[in-house]
Formats: sequence, C-alpha cells, structure tokens
Amino acid sequence: MRRLLALLGAGLRQNFALATIRHKFFKQKQERWLLLLFALGLLGAAPLVVGYFIVLGRLYAILKPMGQETALLTLAILAGQLLILVFGLFYVLSAFYFSRDLEFLVALPARPFEVIAAKFGVILVNEYLTVLLVVAPAFIVYGAMAARPIAYWPLAALVFLLLPVIPLALSGLLVMAMMRLVNVSRKKDFFILAGSLALLAAVLFLQLGLAGTRGPEEMMRFFTAADGLARLLGEKFPPCIWAARLLAEGFSARGIGYLILFGGISVAVLLLLLWAAERLFYRGLIGLSEMAARRTKLSAAALAERFARRRHDWQAILLREWRLMNRTPIFLLNGILSVVLVPVMLFFMVRSGAGSASLAFLKLLGSGDRSAEILFSAAFFIACGCLNGTASSTFSREGSSFWISKVIPVAPCRQVAGKFLHSYLVAVLGVLGGMAAARLALGLSWQSVLPAALLALVAGAFLTAINMAVDLARPLLTWTNPQRAIKQNLNVLLAMALDAGFVYAFYRLFVILRRAGLDGRQLILAMLAATALAAAAALFFLGRIAARRYARIAA
Amino acid sequence: MIELKNVCKSYNKGAVRAVDDLTLTVPPGEIFGFLGPNGAGKTTTIKMIVGILAPDSGAIAIAGRDNRREPLACKAVTAYVPDEPEIYERLTGLEYLNFIADVYGVPARERGERSRRWLEAFELAAVAADPIQTYSHGMRQKIVLTGALLVEPRVFVLDEPMTGLDPRSAHHLKEAMRAHCDRGGTLFFSTHVMEVAEKFCDRLAIIHKGRLAACGTLEELRRQAGDSGSLEKIFLETTGS
Ligand SMILES: Nc1ncnc2c1ncn2[C@@H]1O[C@H](COP(=O)(O)OP(=O)(O)O)[C@@H](O)[C@H]1O
Ligand SMILES: [Mg+2]
Repeated sequence: MRRLLALLGAGLRQNFALATIRHKFFKQKQERWLLLLFALGLLGAAPLVVGYFIVLGRLYAILKPMGQETALLTLAILAGQLLILVFGLFYVLSAFYFSRDLEFLVALPARPFEVIAAKFGVILVNEYLTVLLVVAPAFIVYGAMAARPIAYWPLAALVFLLLPVIPLALSGLLVMAMMRLVNVSRKKDFFILAGSLALLAAVLFLQLGLAGTRGPEEMMRFFTAADGLARLLGEKFPPCIWAARLLAEGFSARGIGYLILFGGISVAVLLLLLWAAERLFYRGLIGLSEMAARRTKLSAAALAERFARRRHDWQAILLREWRLMNRTPIFLLNGILSVVLVPVMLFFMVRSGAGSASLAFLKLLGSGDRSAEILFSAAFFIACGCLNGTASSTFSREGSSFWISKVIPVAPCRQVAGKFLHSYLVAVLGVLGGMAAARLALGLSWQSVLPAALLALVAGAFLTAINMAVDLARPLLTWTNPQRAIKQNLNVLLAMALDAGFVYAFYRLFVILRRAGLDGRQLILAMLAATALAAAAALFFLGRIAARRYARIAA
Repeated sequence: MIELKNVCKSYNKGAVRAVDDLTLTVPPGEIFGFLGPNGAGKTTTIKMIVGILAPDSGAIAIAGRDNRREPLACKAVTAYVPDEPEIYERLTGLEYLNFIADVYGVPARERGERSRRWLEAFELAAVAADPIQTYSHGMRQKIVLTGALLVEPRVFVLDEPMTGLDPRSAHHLKEAMRAHCDRGGTLFFSTHVMEVAEKFCDRLAIIHKGRLAACGTLEELRRQAGDSGSLEKIFLETTGS
C-alpha cells in the first residue's frame, strides 16, 4: 500500500508540477498580450456556461410537469460517462502504454496492479476536471430547482467522485485486452490504431447504434411511466440510472440500495481492472516499442532516387508535421481521426432513436430561416474542423526535438507558415466531414451547406492562427507521455475556450447585423467579410510574434 | 570563424553561473577543442553559439556576422550536433536526411552522393529506410552527424561527438573534420576525453566553472603552465580547485 501511494504521489506530482511551471510563466509577465487573449476567451466562453445553466433550467421546467425530471440527472450522468468512456480509451492507451516513464516503472520492484492503480488514479483526477463542466451544472440545477434537502449535496458530490470509475475502468479493461492481442504482431502501430478504432466503434455502436427505432406507442409508454424517459436514456448503460435514482431518492431505503449498487459495481469493476492488470498488462507492454525494422540495404540507385526531390523549406516543414502527427498513434487519434469521428458520431446519432430528438431540434433551429441555418451549420463545421487540438499543440508536439527548429536556417515565420498549412489542412478535412454529415445525415440543402462551408473555412483560418498563437506563447516541450502534448495540454483547453468565445462573438455579430436590417445574401457576405478580416489580422499577428517567441523558447 | 566576446549566461535567475565572461576566437582552418570537466559550461556555450540559448550579455559572431542580429545567415553556414540525439523518432533516417537537406537547401544532385558516402562510413546504409525509433543511441548520433555532414557547412559545432561512437565511426569523423579544416573550414567541438584532445586538436581551450582557464596550442598551454607534461596533467592542474 505504501508503494502504491508513493507511485500515485509521484504520478500526480509529475502531472501537476507542470502546472507550477505554467504558473511561473504567468508570473514572469513576459507575455501580457497573452493574458489579455485568455481573458477574452474566458469572457467569451462565460456566456456558454451561463447558457448551459439556462438550457438545463428550461429542460427541468419542461420535464417537471411530466414527472420526468430525473431524466435531467440521467442525461448529465450519461453524457459524462459516455464522454469518459470514449476519451478514456485514448487517455488509458497513452498513459498505460505510451508514457516514457514506463520503462522506469517496469524496472521498479512494483507489481503490475500497483503501476496500473497509480496511473489510473492520475487519469481519474484529470477526468474530474473534464466532467466538471458537463455534469456539475446539471446536479446544481436539479438540486436547486427541486429544492432537495441538504443530504442531496454530499450524495451529489459522492456520485460525482464515483462517476468516472466505471467507464474509465471499462476503458482500461478494453484497452489492456486489445494491447495483449495486438502485441504479438509486428506491425504494431497499425494494429494499435485499428484496434483502438474498433473499440471506439464498438462503444459508439453500443451506445447509439443499437437503440433501434421504436414505434410511437412504445415511445409513449416510456413517457407516461414515471421516470420512463430516464430509463429510456440510460438503458444502454444502467449505472447512470442507478446514480440518478440514488440522487433522486436520497437517503431512503431505495436510495441506499442504489448507492450500494452503484458504489459496489464501481469498486468491483476497479478490482477487476487491477486483477486483469496482473495478467495482461506487462505482456501487452513488453516489447511494444520494438518496431518492424526492415534492415534492407538500398542500392546506390534506389538511394539516389530517394534524394532526387528538393522541396521548399515550408514544404519540408509541412511534410514533417504531417508525418509526425499521423505516425504517432496518440496524435493521430486526437487529430485527423477525431476529425472523422464527429461526423460519423452525428450520423449514428441521427440514425438511432435517441438522435431523432436532436435532429428535430436542429431542424427547429433553422426552420424556414435560411440565414440562421447557414450560421448554425457553419458553427457545426467549425466544431468539426477546429476542436481537435492539431493547431493548439503544434509546437508542443515537437517536444524534446524542438532544438532542430531553433538551429535550422528557416525563418520562424516560414516555419510557422508550414505548420499553419498542416493545421489548416486538418481543419479543411474536418469541414468536409461536417459537410458530408450535414448533407447525408441531416439532409440540409446545398444552398445552406456551401455558404456555411465557405464561412467555416474562413473562420477556420482565423481560429487555426489563434490556436497556434496560444501554443506558441507557452509550448509544453517537456512531455514524456505524448497524450500530455495534445489532449492533456492546457493550451488545447485554453484554445478551445477561446474558440468557443470567438464563435459566440460571431453569433453576436450575426444578431447585431440582423437587427441592423441585413438579411439573406447580404448578411452572409457581411459575416464573411468580418471573418476574413479577423483571419487576416490573426495571421499577421501570428507572423509578427513568431520570431520573437522562437528566440525566447529555450530548447 | 567563431568569435565570442564577454559572453555570460546564468540559469535560474542568476543562481547558477554557467558561463562567465567568456571571450574566445575559433579561427578557421584549425581543429579547435573545447575542454572542461562535467558541468563546466561547454554545452551551454555551444547552445549559445548555435542560437538555442540567448546569452545574458556579450556577443557571438559566426563568419563575421552577429548571431542574434543576423540569425539566419549564421544558421545557414553552421551545422550542429548535440550531445543528446533527440530527433524525430517517427521519421525514417532517409526522411530525416531529406528534411535537413531541404531546410539547408542542399542541391538534389549532391544529396544522394554525400549521404551514400556517410551512411556507408557510419554503417547505417542498411537501416536508413527504417524509422529512427528502431535505432540505438549510437545510431541516432550517427544519423545526426550524417545530416550535419550532408550540409557541408563552413562551420561545424559538435557537442561531445566522440562519446558513444564506435572506433571506426570515430575514425571516419576525425578524418572528415581534418579534411574540413584543411579546406579552411571551422570546427568547434567539446570533449572531456584527453587523448582525443591531445592527438587531434590544433588548438585548445579549457573552461572551468564557466570561465576560460587556458587557451592556445598544446605548446602554448605547456608554456603557460610551465610544465612539459601531458595535456591530462595540465588539465588537472588548471581545473583542480
Ligand atoms: N537547463 C538548465 N537549468 C539550470 N541549470 C543548468 C541547465 N543546464 C545546465 N545547467 C547548469 O549549468 C552548468 C553548466 O552546464 P553544461 O553547460 O551542461 O556543462 P557541460 O556541458 O560542460 O558538462 C552546470 O552547473 C549545470 O548544472
Ligand atoms: Mg555537456
């Protein structure tokens, strides 16, 4: 137990020591403009948080008269757990198998289950930060609007703490089983990717695909039964029903029953993970970094051919970025694959029964209002293209190789240009995926999709430049676990907050322009012009700070 | 030619004085060895020369140009090999070499010829098409060296290049460096191995606790120390406090 705690302590320290480095960075007051940028982003993101609370409140008001208010809790818990299950796959894969401290940990006199338990603890703490935004507001709104007794609040805190355990432990089990299977093959990188995608598809399919279509009568039954909606939502993942019931019932006999059920299953799954760790973990890990090396000597002619092409410096940078991103499984999963994933998820969601509600909602948003439909589609495309962390980790990803960028005779602003092209390419792919989903799944017309795509492409250039500026201001180069460079990189989160803020600002602009009497084509053209101006300014700004920042980053 | 003038650098806000008022000229055409015990400030000096770190004060010129006012001009004529070969693991050796050749603007004609020669010399030809991830530490070091030699720069800056190299590769490297200096090129390399320094260098500088302790040809160092013994003895005396 002492050893376990020591491991966990070391893991947490390593995880959060970087936070103190960041702290120092802010204290040094080198980059005041950056603080301004962050303040702007948070200011912009604040309305979203407030908006979320308002939507939850309205939802409660709608559900209450039908006696379905517990569905609010189920929905929030389900969303939180689904999020953890899906993203947990990446976290767990990276932390269990690709972290560079593993060689060191394996050499320690610690048992596999202790190593896994420590790593699990660190991920768990990180997950709390993630789900806080999704789940806690729903708990607060429910607790306040249903006027729950005091006892509700400690229970809510307990449920919040237990919430990530089941999905994360399940992710861990799935990943360990997969890695045990994959590690026998020589083409490991490929199989790791294929395996992760298969797991992801399986999880999504179970969650969304199997829902099937229900007849109207059956749907009615769910709505008329007490808590029927909550049960409908949670039927694929019963723990979230138990957790919601436990909160709704409080300290009654039934409530305590659910508490024992939820807590018991959480502990049981965790123990199962640790048990499996003893059997699967090292066998999946050892030899993982051995790659298939061909070791075939190239002839002089073949060699000459490999060197026949001379590229421009920015092309060389672009190619390097593309290769490094796509060949590091963790980066690939977070980059292009997550770009593909959003539309695919949307497609499945719309196809499943649960999704038809959101479809109706989307249709409602744009009902008869072409301009609004274009704007909302553009926002969706932007989310598809820019929320993947490619741009906001572009410098961090170089890690300990950053010294190369400092010694090569390529001006920083040209290097940044190559990197911009790479990030923007990923954003363009995301917009294309979003377009496909909008056409195929939602059935939007080309008249909406094309202008929306144009708007999204211009806004994408703006956001890509802003996201890169955030990472350039404070790149995280000291990582050992690639996940830290991208998903767990604070820059990526900050950039997302900024993106949300700017998208909201564009929305405000839209409202203002409309109030001023613009509509139809004029409105969209005005929006395009404003976005293009912002993009030009952001690119100019990025080019301006590049040289100064490159000179200051010590590699 | 590399010129350092009153260069100072400290870490942790002045808590560690890594390089202290260092003034040094590395003339072209001579093999220049930079000696010092561990932690003397060799790597810090080298990182400032190649532009990875900025000095707190003082100036550095490469081929007559200030490396902070005209960084690109300086970088274009310099190739640097660090002590730790941390490079892009996910690229193959060939892709790495092509990247280096692209950013330094090496003509396509010369790339194949030069890289074949050095890949052969360093016995990397069989693994050049494999990911760098599969290389050993020494192989990584040699692929970085190959990249530097591919550029054929006027100035080589090498940080402890002999540590970790097998004897054959070390021999090839020494020959290449000799030829480079004979053509009038500049070479600045750090080491703490006395035999290498004594047999190989035309000119030496010894750095101790960030300060220049001695500088000159081996003969001059002997005269300064009033001692006709080995370099090792001089080194131990100059750095023995
Ligand atoms: N990044 C750093 N932060 C703080 N101190 C450092 C750093 N790098 C080097 N030092 C310190 O600076 C001094 C010189 O180090 P270095 O230049 O690496 O020496 P050498 O290469 O001669 O062994 C040492 O005392 C070392 O501890
Ligand atoms: Mg050193």
